[in-house]
Amino acid sequence: MLNTPTILSSAIAAFAFSLGLNAHAADAIKVGVVTPLSGSYAPIGKQVRWGAELAVKEINAAGGVAGRPFELLFEDEEANPPIAVRKSEKLLQQDKVDLLTGTVNSGSTLAVGQVAERNNRILVTTVSYAPSITGAQCNPNVFRVNANAFMQSNALTSWLTKNVAGKRYFFIGPDYEMGRSSISAFQDDIKRLGGTDVGSTFPPLGAKDFTPYVGQIRSARPDVIMTATAGNDTVRLLTQLKEYGMLSDKLTLAGSAGAVTQENIGAMDGAAEGFLSAAGYSIDIDTSANKKFVATFKKEFQSDPDLFAADTYGLFYLFKQAVEKAGGTDEQKLRGAMEDATWETPQGTKKMRKGDHQAIVDMVVVKVSGNDFRTVGRVPGEDAVDSDKCEKF
Amino acid sequence: MLQPSIPPVEPRPSLNTAAKLNVGDRLLRALYPPRANAWQLRWLGFAMLVLAAIFPWLGGPFYTRLAIESFLFGATALSVDILLGYAGLLSLGQAAYFGLAAYISALMYLHVTQSFWLVLVAVVTAVAVFSLVLGAVAIRAKGVYFALITFGAAEILSKIAHNTRAIGGSDGLIGIPVPRITLLPGVTIDLQNNFVFYYAVLGVLVLIYIGTRRILDSGFGAVLRAIRDNSDRVPYLGYNSFWYKLLAYIMAAQVAAVGGLIYPLLRGFVAPHLFGFEVSTKAVVMSLVGGVGTLLGPLAGSVIVTFLESAVGSYTERHLLVLGVIFIVFVMFLPDGLIGLARRLSASRGKAAP
Repeated sequence: MLNTPTILSSAIAAFAFSLGLNAHAADAIKVGVVTPLSGSYAPIGKQVRWGAELAVKEINAAGGVAGRPFELLFEDEEANPPIAVRKSEKLLQQDKVDLLTGTVNSGSTLAVGQVAERNNRILVTTVSYAPSITGAQCNPNVFRVNANAFMQSNALTSWLTKNVAGKRYFFIGPDYEMGRSSISAFQDDIKRLGGTDVGSTFPPLGAKDFTPYVGQIRSARPDVIMTATAGNDTVRLLTQLKEYGMLSDKLTLAGSAGAVTQENIGAMDGAAEGFLSAAGYSIDIDTSANKKFVATFKKEFQSDPDLFAADTYGLFYLFKQAVEKAGGTDEQKLRGAMEDATWETPQGTKKMRKGDHQAIVDMVVVKVSGNDFRTVGRVPGEDAVDSDKCEKF
Repeated sequence: MLQPSIPPVEPRPSLNTAAKLNVGDRLLRALYPPRANAWQLRWLGFAMLVLAAIFPWLGGPFYTRLAIESFLFGATALSVDILLGYAGLLSLGQAAYFGLAAYISALMYLHVTQSFWLVLVAVVTAVAVFSLVLGAVAIRAKGVYFALITFGAAEILSKIAHNTRAIGGSDGLIGIPVPRITLLPGVTIDLQNNFVFYYAVLGVLVLIYIGTRRILDSGFGAVLRAIRDNSDRVPYLGYNSFWYKLLAYIMAAQVAAVGGLIYPLLRGFVAPHLFGFEVSTKAVVMSLVGGVGTLLGPLAGSVIVTFLESAVGSYTERHLLVLGVIFIVFVMFLPDGLIGLARRLSASRGKAAP
C-alpha cells in the first residue's frame, strides 16, 4: 500500500503538468489553432502556423485589437478527427480560447465545428475545401475564408471554355471519393458552359501503369484533359502521356489545384508544361499588399507562402475587424460582425456571405511554366462562387 | 498400404466427460489460482477507484471529459488483456469492435431511435455475430497470423466506412445528440452534465472490470491460461481449446464495444479513424504499460497514456516520439507493466520489513 502513491503519481504528474500552462495576459484575445503539425499534412499545418504567426506579430506590433494583443495557442490535430476534437475541447474548455481556426481535412473541420457550436465559440477554416462545410452540413458557428472546391472548378472551367478553342474534354480521376467528386464537379461545369464530355476514366489510386488508359484517351481525341490525380499519380500519368507522344500544343492540360504542385513539378521533366489550375491565391498576384506580404513572409520564415498561409494570414485581419466591431469576443456579436464583413487580404478584398458563411474570394488561374506557376487570368469571386445551399441558418 | 496406419491419439471428451472435466478442472484451478485475492491488486484497485471518484473535482470540464474518453479506450485495452493476458492471443484489431459499436450507435441515434437500450441491444447483437464469424476464422490461425487477420479485418471495416458515402465517407458522421438515458421509469441519466456522464461511465467500467475478473478467475479463466501456456496439451485434459478461445474472443469483442457504444455520445461524432490501426495499437500499448494479465493494469494504462498524450502533445509536435520511447522503456525494462512494478516493489519491501 505504501507504494500505491508512487504508481499513481505518474498519472497525477502528467495531469498537473498539463494544468500548469494557464498563465496568460488577462486581456489577450486567445486564438486556438488546431492544425496538423505532425504526419503527412504537417507541411500544410506549417504554412497555417506561419501565416497566423506573421499576422499576429504585425497586428500586435501595431497596437493589437483595441489595445488587446492576440495570443496564439497551437495544438497538433494529426489530421485525425477524434484527436482534433479532443484538442479543440482542451483549447475551448481549459485554455478558454475566444476563437478557433487551423483545421485542415474536412472531417476535422466538421467535427471541430460541432465542438465549437456546443461550446458557444466560432471556428473558421482556412484550408478545408469540401463544399459540405458551408453546404449540406453548414453550421452557424463555422466560417470559411478560403475558396471551396466548387469555386476552384467554376473558375477553372469558365476560364478554359473562354480561352481554349477546342471543346472536347476528357476526364481522369483517381478511383476514390475525392477523385470522383472532383471529376463530377468538372464534368457538370464543362457541360453547363458548352463543352463536350468525350469520356472519363478512373484508374485506381496509386496506379503505376497508365498504358491501358492511353488508348481510350487517344481514341476520344480530346482537346483538353482534366485530371484530379495528385502527387506521384500525376507524375506517372503526365510522363507516360508524354512518352506515348500524346502531349502537343493542340492538347491543353488542366486539373485540380493539388494535381501539380511545387512538390512534384520537378519530377515531371517538363511533362506538366502548360498545366492549368485555379486557386484562391498565387504568390505572383500583382498588388502592393501581396508583395509586402510575400516579402515579409520570406524574411521571417525563409520560405515562400502558399495559399494556406495567405488565407490564414488574412483571417486575422477579419478577426481584428470583427472583434473591434463587436466590442469584444461575445459569440453572438462576433458572428454578427463576421457575417457582414468585407476585409482586405493579400489576395484582395474578401467578402463574407451571410447565408452560408462562405467567403467570396477572387480566383486566380495559374499555368505551369518551367518549374514555376504563372498567373494567366483572374476570375472574380462573384462569378466563381456557387449558390448558397445552406439551409440551417 | 504396406504399413497399417496408426490412428492419431485424440482426446475424446465424449467418454466419461464429467469425471474428466472434474479432474482437469481441479488440476487447472490448482495450477492457475484466481488472482483477485492478491492483496496488492485489491489495494491498487481500491486506490484507483478512490482517485477516480474524486477526480472530477480536481480538474475542469476538459479533464473530466478526457478522463471519460480514457475510460472508453480503457475498455478496449481491457479487451486486449483478456486476449493477450489470458488466452495468449495478440489482437491488433480491437478497434474493429470499438468502431463497429461507435458507427452502429451513431447511426441508430441519428436515424432510428433515441433509446439507449435499443442501441445497446443492436450493438451487442451485431458485435456478437461479427466476432463469432471473425473469431472462428482468426482463431484457427496462430501467433502472428492471428494478429494479422484481426488487423486486416479492422482495416477492411475502416476502408468500408471511409468509402461509403451513405455513412459519411471519410468525413464520418456528426450531429449525434447527447441523450438522456432512462434507467427506470422516472429515473434518467442526463449525459449533458459532465459529472453525471463521468460517474455513469466510471460505474460501467467498474462493472465490466468486476464481471471480467469474476469470469476469468473461474475455471474458464484457468483453462484460458492453460491454453496460453500450452495449447497443445490442454485438449488432453478434455478441453476443446478452440471453443474456449472463441468464447474469450467474443467476450473481448463485447468489452471493446462498450467504449465504441458510448464514444459518439461523448464526442458527438464518429469517423473512420475509430477503426484505425492507431486505436488498436494504442490499446496494446495501454495494456503493456499497465501490465498484461492483470486486468487492472490496462485501465490504469489507458488513463496514463491518454493524459500523457494530451500533455506532451501540447508542448511538442514530436509527441509520438516521446510515447514511443516510453513504450520501448516499458517493453525492455518493465515487461510486466506498472502493476508488475508495484508488485515487485511491495514484495521486496515486504521482505525487508519483517
